[in-house]
Amino acid sequence: MDTKSIHSEKNKKNENTENKAQPVIAVCLGTGGIAAGGDKVFKKFEDEIKRLSMDAAIGKRVCKTAKTGCRGLCARDVLVDVSIPGTKPLTYEKVTVDMVPQIIEEHIVKNTPVEKWLAKEDYHKFYDSQQRHVLANSGIIDPENIDEYIARGGYVALKKVLETMTQQDVIQEIKKSGLRGRGGGGFPTGEKWASGARYSADEKFIVCNADEGDPGAFMDRSLMEGDPHAVMEGMIIGGYAIAATSGYIYVRAEYPLAVKRLHWAIKQAKEHGFMGKNILNSNYSLDIHIKEGAGAFVCGESTALQYSIEGKRGMPRTRPPQSVEAGLWDKPTVLNNVETFANVPIVINRGADWYSKIGTEKSKGTKIFSLTGRIKNPGLIEVPMGATIRQIVFDMGGGIPRKKKFKAVQIGGPSGGCLPESLLDSPIDYESLLGLGAMMGSGSFVVVDETTCMVDMARFFMNFCAGESCGKCPPCRIGTTLMLDILTRITQGLGEESDLELLEQMSDEIKTMSLCGLGQSAPNPVKSTLRYFKDEYIAHIRDKTCPTATCVALHRYEVVSEKCTKCQACIRNCPVKAISGSTKEVAFINKEKCIKCNLCYEKCNFMAIK
Amino acid sequence: MKTIHLIVDDKPIIAQEGTNIFQAAIDNGIHIPGLCYHPKLSQFGGCRLCMVEVTERRTGHRFACAHPVSEGMSVKVNTPKVIRYRKSVMEYLLAHHPLDCPTCDKSGECGLQDITHELNLSPGRFKTVRMNAPMIRNNPLLELNRNRCILCGRCVSACKEIEGYGAIDFQNRGIKTVIGTAFDRPLECSFCGGCVAVCPTGAWQDRTLGFKGRPWEFKNTPTICPYCAVGCTVVLNTKATPLRIEQGIETVRRVTSDDYLGINEGNLCIKGRFGHEFIHSPERIKTPLIRKNGELYPTSWDEAIEYVSKRFRQIINEHGGKAIGGIGSEKCTNEENYLFQKFCRSVLGTNNIDNLANIKSPFLNGLIYESIINGISSTSLKDIENANAIFFIGADVTEAHPVVGSMARKAIRLNNANLIVANVRNILFNSAAKTNIRLRYTLGSQFTLINALIKTIIDENLVDIKNIETMTKNFNELRSSLDKFGLENASKSTGVTKETIRNASLTLTKPGSCYIICGKDIEEDPMGKETIKALMNLCALINANRSAETSNARISLLFARSHSNSQGVNDMGVVPGFFPGYIDINDASYREKIEKLWNTKLSDDILMKESLNVFDLALNNKLKAIYVMGENPIVNYPNGKEVREAFKKVEFIVVQDTFLTETAQLADVILPTATFAENEGTFTNMGLVVQRLNNAIQPVENAKPAWQIICDLAKKMGQHYSYTSPQDILSEIETIVPIYSGINYNRIKKKGFHWASSLTNKNKSAKYTFNVIQPEPLHIKKSKDFPFTLLTGASLNHQGTFSRHSKSLITVAPECFVEINNKDAQEMNIHNGDMVIIESIQNKMMLKAKISDKLPEGMVFVSEDYEWVPINLLRDRVYTPIKVYLPSSEKTI
Repeated sequence: MDTKSIHSEKNKKNENTENKAQPVIAVCLGTGGIAAGGDKVFKKFEDEIKRLSMDAAIGKRVCKTAKTGCRGLCARDVLVDVSIPGTKPLTYEKVTVDMVPQIIEEHIVKNTPVEKWLAKEDYHKFYDSQQRHVLANSGIIDPENIDEYIARGGYVALKKVLETMTQQDVIQEIKKSGLRGRGGGGFPTGEKWASGARYSADEKFIVCNADEGDPGAFMDRSLMEGDPHAVMEGMIIGGYAIAATSGYIYVRAEYPLAVKRLHWAIKQAKEHGFMGKNILNSNYSLDIHIKEGAGAFVCGESTALQYSIEGKRGMPRTRPPQSVEAGLWDKPTVLNNVETFANVPIVINRGADWYSKIGTEKSKGTKIFSLTGRIKNPGLIEVPMGATIRQIVFDMGGGIPRKKKFKAVQIGGPSGGCLPESLLDSPIDYESLLGLGAMMGSGSFVVVDETTCMVDMARFFMNFCAGESCGKCPPCRIGTTLMLDILTRITQGLGEESDLELLEQMSDEIKTMSLCGLGQSAPNPVKSTLRYFKDEYIAHIRDKTCPTATCVALHRYEVVSEKCTKCQACIRNCPVKAISGSTKEVAFINKEKCIKCNLCYEKCNFMAIK
Repeated sequence: MKTIHLIVDDKPIIAQEGTNIFQAAIDNGIHIPGLCYHPKLSQFGGCRLCMVEVTERRTGHRFACAHPVSEGMSVKVNTPKVIRYRKSVMEYLLAHHPLDCPTCDKSGECGLQDITHELNLSPGRFKTVRMNAPMIRNNPLLELNRNRCILCGRCVSACKEIEGYGAIDFQNRGIKTVIGTAFDRPLECSFCGGCVAVCPTGAWQDRTLGFKGRPWEFKNTPTICPYCAVGCTVVLNTKATPLRIEQGIETVRRVTSDDYLGINEGNLCIKGRFGHEFIHSPERIKTPLIRKNGELYPTSWDEAIEYVSKRFRQIINEHGGKAIGGIGSEKCTNEENYLFQKFCRSVLGTNNIDNLANIKSPFLNGLIYESIINGISSTSLKDIENANAIFFIGADVTEAHPVVGSMARKAIRLNNANLIVANVRNILFNSAAKTNIRLRYTLGSQFTLINALIKTIIDENLVDIKNIETMTKNFNELRSSLDKFGLENASKSTGVTKETIRNASLTLTKPGSCYIICGKDIEEDPMGKETIKALMNLCALINANRSAETSNARISLLFARSHSNSQGVNDMGVVPGFFPGYIDINDASYREKIEKLWNTKLSDDILMKESLNVFDLALNNKLKAIYVMGENPIVNYPNGKEVREAFKKVEFIVVQDTFLTETAQLADVILPTATFAENEGTFTNMGLVVQRLNNAIQPVENAKPAWQIICDLAKKMGQHYSYTSPQDILSEIETIVPIYSGINYNRIKKKGFHWASSLTNKNKSAKYTFNVIQPEPLHIKKSKDFPFTLLTGASLNHQGTFSRHSKSLITVAPECFVEINNKDAQEMNIHNGDMVIIESIQNKMMLKAKISDKLPEGMVFVSEDYEWVPINLLRDRVYTPIKVYLPSSEKTI
């Protein structure tokens, strides 16, 4: 399909009517969609349509296939929307290449949807509770076609800003809206822009933090892959507000599709006059450059990110000076998150008053969360601030699969905290979460059930932080490793009574003494699990057991004598000959010799080993 | 700069706005514990130990090195909460630190030990983890123990900011972070030892120390480095063995530096820091030696002195005092050089004395003096650190005066100073200068280049012509003499683009202070005199413009000198045409004065007529004896063939030296001289600052300080000198040498005496007269048979006799190379490391080739500083034509 053909401002009106007359088959091609085979499905649709010469069959109506970005419910990929003019658009889930011919034949040609493959009830429930403002275009438009973005109101905000608003007007509007940084810090964006505007220099920079290092977070990725122009429009407006001379998007190299789509978007934006010299005849010029990361989580920290752009080692620095005063190359720099920028055109278009009606008193607007873990509907959701955890987990997320019980949700990634069942009805906003010992963070939402060991989870996140520490300051460099050693010992059954107090002390010390946010928030998972799940720690240390049977070192293998058939399968397979028994005797496992390799459990056909 | 008042631990102090709390505390003598902050380096904020309680509007905790002072702020350094957190950070550091103290050379001067002790850190909560990383010893001077490293980042900053090398940096991340070189290659740097100097733990160590003593056993004596003319303060660490026993012999174990003494801020170079081993070299001359029947025999001092005086007397009787020539020393003190010329003039009765610096550039002394009087050379060397623009012309600072490079880098880093480097070769100078202009001119065109700069400045109205005309003389004559130095012509002759010349002119005339270092390449060039005069014109032109701007910003021109007292030996009048203090030798009233002081009648034969210098006199059979103090002219005089012949023609040679140099090997009497470590007195550096040496150890074996030898000799010859110490000599100098008037031996222990400043002040109102010069153009001789030009110059790792006998320097740089351009090498099929023959009409020599992108085509470079490679044997002029070829092919180009 030729994405560059036909569409232009002039033909927009004709094209819309023409579009309305065409059946459109939209295939999700975000990273999740592609991972599920989306591009193969897309090609199959294209091939089939060509093969069947659909235009001839339906009388000059050309069936259009379209690429879209992530629409959120990644678990059901590949998602395909079929829109026949005159009927309601319908969504197929988990589409494979084999299903394509039937869908085309029955639904498109004969106008009979294939019921059994349509998306289920909970798919709609997933969407109904959301307020998709920032994600409005994701999953609907082709991210590699600027005209589709423009057709849905893209760059209208930029035009409004450049033609009718002064820098101060923009800053005031953003301030009034209450928009806060979506990267985790939650700093009021309007205030940051106001500070940035205050400093004058021969060069000023507007930077977008697209490093998104939190494990389990993919909000920014989906935004960049699904609606890159929204991010850039926000950046250009921000650049205008602070009088930036140049812009940078620092995107992690692990997002090659996002990088590609951003480059493409920049190219198209320039061609259309939305970026570059003298934007829309306004005298404001801005060029945005892409800089790829090199695999360091710490480069998501604002000062380390700026050093990385400069080509130096990504090690954070102390402040003052703040980046707004002296940041990139010692020039005034304003740095914001991808999602923050994507919110900006909405604020400008719909107005600060409208925006500030969404959310809570101190946290305005919507937030995108990436739902992962033990949940039925993992994916991307956008909810107004103030939605409760219960709504997200059970209404949109669909609850816990395999009939397991909810145990905790880790909000905010490795810098965040775990919240237990008792706090399910807590609202999600910046202040509330901090009070509970968690953190909004970038928006990753990891749900765990009764089979997850909280001590092991804390160890996992501590391992992440210790490995990503830049190494500059002793509290983080050495402290996290020492804490990791303690946690590892505990999961191996070598914990001591004094460890709990030690962990508390060290958490406090590392939080207070670390130079940057990585170190300061590294102890959070430990702190919150100690606060809400202390019993699990005590079980590991005192009783040397892991309540969820996750920590391998603490596994105890026992034969259930009633079920044992004396088949000796386990005895034959044990690599260390720890099992004794015969055809006459029930098997017995010598716990001292057992290396917990799990073979006996697997080999027993009678479920006689636990 | 606004002054801020604040209180630290109930003590009111003041600081400049913008200072951080840590620095303010240091400046006011208040101790805040910290391991990564260093006043010389940019702030790091990594160790997290400097946490303090700060009350501004509210009370909170801040990290002192990261937080700026504010008016009315109150700081508490040691609250219980702060101590608790500080202890925790120390515990983390110690948990990953090896328990090496008993075998670690740093023990006793270790920051980690100090703070642990200060915090009274009882056994911590953690078991120490031994990391067992291997020691890195892949170079002869430094060792890195990564287990002891606390990653404070100081060494990385020092290498990048002070030395400009950036040879080391952080590698990996998290707990695996270490300091290392790129790709873990062996350390390749200038070995200035800055990393060792700033390291707070035993991670970086000086291998020349190697367990030779504990810091608390050392006696530390600050003195002046014996190598180049920058005059850095070095601290000699000495220890007596056996310890605490009367007969213990004190020896020098190590050299360290002190950030607060002298002009170098604790920065040194490889020679200053690691080149001390010559002091205790077994090769030193142990007793006086006399030649009998062609062989040298050890003898007593009495016998040697007796013999010398007898022979001198003989020659004086037969041929007159003027038949004796004297060579003073660029490495001996002012007192010794003063005494030398006093002895030669008054006791021997000869004015045929000189020193090698003056021989190589006879016009230099006069021009330096003129520059001072005209206010062009009014500041001292250290002021480069405040420059807004720095101009190195014909000066390879990285090789010849490394610490000047560090001073320049400080100005570049803190003042954003602009940099201009002008040289024939593409010399190395590392810096972070944002404006970095290279003027790579063709050999022989420097005079054109300077005048082109002057003309561009005038033509483009970068100075106020009206003002200049009123403040100077001869301006119009100057202007009209510059017609052929327009940009078009100049660009053609010099090979520098018009754009670059214009840029340089713009940079030099920007407001602010500008420092020009005029290097040896200019001073020893055949057109050196004219070029320097042109340089003086340039400076006077810009200076005249600035005086109008009522600011202190000026241009200051400083002249490179090679050795520790090259300036002083000239100040003290060991030159044929001047008395001490550059007073003309014909000045009658001064003659009277000095004759009275010395109680003698001076010889009337006061000028060497028809001869260039002392060696020339010898060549022409005018000399019967030569008295050499602390020099090796056989190797260091530019024309090797001539100087050897000159010595052959002389019948009596006396040499005072520490080692048996090539010159000493020709001598009839050799008198062992004590080194700088066994002596006191003063050196004058190239910034015209007189600094004091302090005695660290007793003279080794039978050596004597040079001044004592001269006194003994004088006494034997009938003149009794009553000096008991160099201080007495300096007192006499003070009375008779006008430029040293006011100098005080005790006061200069604290701060050097800058003799130029009083001279400049006297002449403030005088108008500068532009020199109008129309010299003959310089022709660099080349021929078909000898198509290459031999360039010579300084080298970082060596400087003559002292470095040759320093084991560590020899290990770092065992071999002298001939540097050759890549293209030339390819054409002759020469590869890096091949042995090649370089041959001039005089002689030939085989050296190892080093391919270098520094050289223009058609030129090769050999260092003059490798004493055992007498490159002067090939030279018959400044730019000797040579040919280069592989030994296998006797083919030449």
